[in-house]
Amino acid sequence: MTQMTRDMLMAYADGQLTVAERAEVEAYLGSNPEAAADVALQQRQNDAIRTLFAPVGAEPVPDRLRVERLAAAHKRGQWRMVQQAAMIVAVLGIGIVVGWMLREGGDRPALHDQLIADAVSAHTVYVAENRHAVEVGGDDAAHLSTWLSNRLATTLAMPDLKVQGLSFLGGRLLPAPAIPGGRAAQLMYEDAAGKRLTLYITPSSGVGGPSYEEVDFGTDTALYWSNALITCTIVGEGSAATMEAIAAAVFSQLTPGTAAPIYRG
Amino acid sequence: MDQFLDQVEACVPALRRYARALTRNVDLADDLVQDCLERAISRRGLFRPSGPVRAWLFTILVNLYRNSRRSTHRRGEHVDIALVPEVGTPAPQPGHVALAELARAIETLPGEQREALLLVTLEGVHYQEAADILKIPMGTLMSRLGRARATLRTLTGTPAEPHLRTVK
Repeated sequence: MTQMTRDMLMAYADGQLTVAERAEVEAYLGSNPEAAADVALQQRQNDAIRTLFAPVGAEPVPDRLRVERLAAAHKRGQWRMVQQAAMIVAVLGIGIVVGWMLREGGDRPALHDQLIADAVSAHTVYVAENRHAVEVGGDDAAHLSTWLSNRLATTLAMPDLKVQGLSFLGGRLLPAPAIPGGRAAQLMYEDAAGKRLTLYITPSSGVGGPSYEEVDFGTDTALYWSNALITCTIVGEGSAATMEAIAAAVFSQLTPGTAAPIYRG
Repeated sequence: MDQFLDQVEACVPALRRYARALTRNVDLADDLVQDCLERAISRRGLFRPSGPVRAWLFTILVNLYRNSRRSTHRRGEHVDIALVPEVGTPAPQPGHVALAELARAIETLPGEQREALLLVTLEGVHYQEAADILKIPMGTLMSRLGRARATLRTLTGTPAEPHLRTVK
């Protein structure tokens, strides 16, 4: 009689054996009725378990367990992730491009160009005023100098342009929209014929850009320059040569002691 | 659908059957199967297409079942009162009593024995594959099967003669 292990009998009952092994076990069971009854009992247990639960496998599969549907949902989820990633990349890209444009002067004008544009706007608005062209009159130049110097956190002298045939009318404080929270001082001058000229002055910290720029606006010409302390845009009707002569006088008086701007050509 | 999804789909009835037998709860079982299928679909890139899809799916399902048991154990076992048979009520059909008793006996088995027993008997999985799915050595699988069967025999009497317990 072959020595038969419990595991072997269980494997037989579970249908896990090869043909040869099965034959071996059956031969053993033929001469061991007790073991045969035990195996038969196990087989009935197995049958009963299958009878209990097998019908579940024949039930219709609910929609939420349909593989095609789950795969499609997964794809949509992946696509959403791709879209989100693409969006992040796009936003970053826009940020980089905008940053680059701001730096290089792309679509959006460079800061100094905005300052020139603001200077020209302010010029156009206030030279047209007669009684309210300025906030503080030129006869109080000392007060005006102190006030605007405080507001712009720099030292501003009020240039005297009598030699250039211009009398000082006075000045006002303005917002400088190009600079967040920025302020600008506008000083106004008038010649004998009543033609007016303005200076638009802001602190120069964080502005960058060229130190000198000349822009022709048709009847008006704008001359912009910046040094370590301020930017100044002179807007007036004179010819380029006249304007440059005025600019030289303004510069030497406005922030005494700083280096002269380098004129192009 | 590609071949992989076809193979997965072919396993769904077996997965449901096994999960239902493990949990004895339709919704809980289908939740496990849904989780299992979602994981399989999202991890298909990590799956070696040469291996058997069925064994892989059952491995995922068993892991999910074990996780869910751990969390329900922390909350305390929930027993549906409708599933607890009344003691002493004579059953109209001996065969039914035997099956209900067996179902109840299976529920009282430790989870690790139930996993092994149902995988082998209900799903007909080969011992070696079952040991791989359950991540246990062959010897451990055999001893769990042996103990599960001994317990069932004690709790149900001998299913060979179920009428002995119900007929006077």
